[in-house]
Amino acid sequence: MSDTVIKIENLVKFFDGRCVLDSINLNVPQGCIYGLLGRNGTGKTTIIRILLGLDSPTRGQTYLLGTQSQKLTPKLRGRIGYVAEAHNLIQNYSLARLVKLCKDLSLKWNDKFFNHLIETFRLPMHRRVRELSIGMRAQLNLSLAMAIDPELLILDDPTLGLDTVARRQFLELAVDLLQKDGRTILFSSHILSDVERIADRIGVLVGGKLVVDCPLEELKKRIRKFRLIFPESAPTDLHLTEIINQQIQARELTITVANWNAQKQALLETFKPASCTEIPMSLEDIFIECTNPNPAPITDSNQEM
Amino acid sequence: MFTLIKREIEDHIAYFLAAVLFSAIFIAIAVSLTYNEDREGPSPAALALLIPTIIVAVFGFCAMGASQMYIDRTRKISSLLSTLPVTRGQILIARIITAVLAMLVLLLPLAVTAAILLRLFPPPYPIYPHYVAEIFTAIFLMGFACYCLGLQLGFSSGKVAPTLGALVLTIILVPLIIIKGFWGHTVIILLLLIFASLTRTWQKFTSTSL
Repeated sequence: MSDTVIKIENLVKFFDGRCVLDSINLNVPQGCIYGLLGRNGTGKTTIIRILLGLDSPTRGQTYLLGTQSQKLTPKLRGRIGYVAEAHNLIQNYSLARLVKLCKDLSLKWNDKFFNHLIETFRLPMHRRVRELSIGMRAQLNLSLAMAIDPELLILDDPTLGLDTVARRQFLELAVDLLQKDGRTILFSSHILSDVERIADRIGVLVGGKLVVDCPLEELKKRIRKFRLIFPESAPTDLHLTEIINQQIQARELTITVANWNAQKQALLETFKPASCTEIPMSLEDIFIECTNPNPAPITDSNQEM
Repeated sequence: MFTLIKREIEDHIAYFLAAVLFSAIFIAIAVSLTYNEDREGPSPAALALLIPTIIVAVFGFCAMGASQMYIDRTRKISSLLSTLPVTRGQILIARIITAVLAMLVLLLPLAVTAAILLRLFPPPYPIYPHYVAEIFTAIFLMGFACYCLGLQLGFSSGKVAPTLGALVLTIILVPLIIIKGFWGHTVIILLLLIFASLTRTWQKFTSTSL
């Protein structure tokens, strides 16, 4: 198998004349937990649906496990677990019937693990899917996706509707799965603390563009936020490139810069600020800064822009 | 594939029950009419049963095709199945096989009964050997053509369009049979209609967003 489990090449998608995805390029290596972030309507679910072959791209190509998404064979699909955002389960089926259907259609089924999950989540097998709460549907969907022992797990906002305990259980399960050799997870989420806890690579979509695509640790190193106080009024133009956000209040300037390096630091020092304090940033802070309308692109150091 | 067919049968069991019921009713009426007549041959009333059989096949299977696709769309069944180790082509084939089975449940007992009755009570006029087979093949193709139309209509529109579609097809097919008979041109036209309709459904179902 190829080392790149997920590959997206120049992906473009239009909906009713509106560009939803604009030239997305992405590679997810084997064994990686990739967190795909973005505000509502930025195209996270569209990317996932195109990857799975549920939707077609306007332009570009996507590949899963080395095969073009539109040409995925049943054998390859059997190696991919998927949890949909809306938990597209057949609503009028009982849990037992739905589980039997998925089990019969799967190439591999880990009964012991599935039963463990069902007991952990306390899912009532006799009830119909439509009678379950959103949280329970999420748990059922997750259990079905995990029971096939997938090589690649694609989770579209999987913790949506889960309470804190169930969310923690899910994260532990995801980590358990990754501990098995070479498993890859792609997941999108709005709960950034979850992403921060388990992802080792982050992608951020803004306005249909992938503005961040790098390892989580590197992202934290490369995006820096400073509070500068100048002896007189703060300069309006620091001649710095890749400024993500900048706020001026009299003598005080708060600035967030992407791809921070020694050159930028030297340039900043030429303005002779009276004080320069770095403000620590969590992933949530970085996400909020990056999702402003015109963020600077932040990519892997080995694909420097 | 067997799992997919089983799922389709379970989800559309009402159509199978209706097929069994209509088949049983038509057989009972045909046998009863044949025995109560002068035993000089098949009763014209028994032969007239072909008309309700055609109507049941046309409307019933058009409704079945439309409901299979409509339920699929509204309950996002294919959307789930497509993420499992099955292809969209397999989902559609399973659906079509299920409909063929339902048609056989309706027509096969009727055809067998008709053949037996004709053997037991031979008509005074000569009939050629494939008489029953030709009639029931044509009814089967008619039901299947309407089913294909139902698949197409159910996938792309609401409840009104499938009903109107079935009505239009009935209006076209019934005079066609009256004028052309059950064999020859009728079968060719039906086969062409089935081919065109299935090709369009296949193309639409395998390429659309789920």
